[in-house]
Amino acid sequence: MPTAGPRSGDAIFASVERVNAELFTLTYGATVRQLLTDLEEVEEVNKQLDQMGYNIGIRLIDEFLAKSNISRCVDFKETADVIAKVGLKMFLGVNATVTNWDAEGTCCSIVLEDNPLVDFVELPDTCQGLHYCNILSGVIRGALEMVSMKTEVTWLRDMLRGDDSFELQVKLLKQVPEEYPYKDDE
Amino acid sequence: MIVCVAVVGHQNNPLYIQSFTEADDALKLHHIVHCSLDVVDERVNNPRKSGPTLNETFLGLLYPTENYKVYGYLTNTKVKFIMVTTDLDVRDADVRSFFRRFHAAYVDAVSNPFHVPGKKITSKTFAESVSTIVKSFGFSSAI
Amino acid sequence: MGREVAESCVDSLLTEMVSTYCHRFYANKPELAARRIEAIGYQVGHQLSERYTMERPRFTDHLEAIKFICKDFWSELFKKQIDNLKTNHRGTFVLQDNRFRWLTRMSVDPQNESQDNSADGENKVAQATSMHLYFPCGIIRGALSNLGIPCAVSADISNLPACSFVVRIKA
Repeated sequence: MPTAGPRSGDAIFASVERVNAELFTLTYGATVRQLLTDLEEVEEVNKQLDQMGYNIGIRLIDEFLAKSNISRCVDFKETADVIAKVGLKMFLGVNATVTNWDAEGTCCSIVLEDNPLVDFVELPDTCQGLHYCNILSGVIRGALEMVSMKTEVTWLRDMLRGDDSFELQVKLLKQVPEEYPYKDDE
Repeated sequence: MIVCVAVVGHQNNPLYIQSFTEADDALKLHHIVHCSLDVVDERVNNPRKSGPTLNETFLGLLYPTENYKVYGYLTNTKVKFIMVTTDLDVRDADVRSFFRRFHAAYVDAVSNPFHVPGKKITSKTFAESVSTIVKSFGFSSAI
Repeated sequence: MGREVAESCVDSLLTEMVSTYCHRFYANKPELAARRIEAIGYQVGHQLSERYTMERPRFTDHLEAIKFICKDFWSELFKKQIDNLKTNHRGTFVLQDNRFRWLTRMSVDPQNESQDNSADGENKVAQATSMHLYFPCGIIRGALSNLGIPCAVSADISNLPACSFVVRIKA
């Protein structure tokens, strides 16, 4: 059964249980709307969505590693590539690319042309500060933390705000060496 | 040419109405749409008149006026779609296909999580797709 | 062909949404958490019924609409139909799913099930399960009310992993 080496995002997506994206899209939308009603402050909703994503990310990483057959990512560069090519594909069924690397190789952008979270969504004028997809940045941050990479994930471009794509900036803050998980070697 | 389209909620509350003429006959068109709602109610509540097509969403020609033809469509969720055209020779298939696309655009608009059911549809995307659908009406068979 | 996502996306989102409302917002007010979760379901059901009835003739009576929920609507969501539909012919319908997907994919410890109300942990499991069920209850209520059928919907899980949804139509 187990194949040697990492599997492609397409292959995994084709093999996992899938459901209508509509259910996912509408459930997420209704959740965001309910959070806005309950929390009132857009900033507070951004924070909650990020927290929800983080909680999902730290749980989803196991499923991701198991299904993708990826044992360990050597460096941050490789990791970013895996998120874009395998992670986003196998869960959301979308393609993403990695660009805008800085010289140190610790900061890059993940760019999505398309994203099932925002199907049908139009932000009302009262929600212009809302990072509607903030759950996604939280997922990435949470998942990376479980493989010892502390990151900061921020939205640079957002199609709901009129940009031509979604751009997530992922910045590596600190990488805890895998061999010494208990020590904080500064 | 389609001169006016409307979406009306189940309590006859207008959700969207748009005319496509330059002349200042918007008021007249709105009146026509308003009158057509009664015809829809009458059709639906009098099964004998509409015969076997009782439950079909497409209601067909509601009534002809001197200059216009008015068509109707009623969804399962009791939302009415009205279309007013100046074309006198209209193919049934074109009208059906128009309403199917109009309905699909509506369904996408109300799938926006920020849309409040029963409230007017303010979506720009919806207005644009309706305008596209209206412009392409009858085009496939016109030539 | 419609767009698809991995099922674990829906599972993760539901689990997290329920936990956010139950543990972070309304930890001491389960009835408020329940109402919010149900409201989220209601909106989803309302929108889905609009989508899934698009290509079909209008329903003539309540039974036809309920049957639609049991067959097409359920299949779109869970790739299976409701297994059993019962009615008292006075406005109450019981829709039973013998293996409700959102419950089978949740880890409810089967060992605890026999000892009703004994352990505190068992209560917590039961409470967590019922919190999750406010979401599908809301979906059914939202879908039916959009089809012109105002109703109340509750869930019965005395027969796990079967789950019965009780629909009471308001006169």
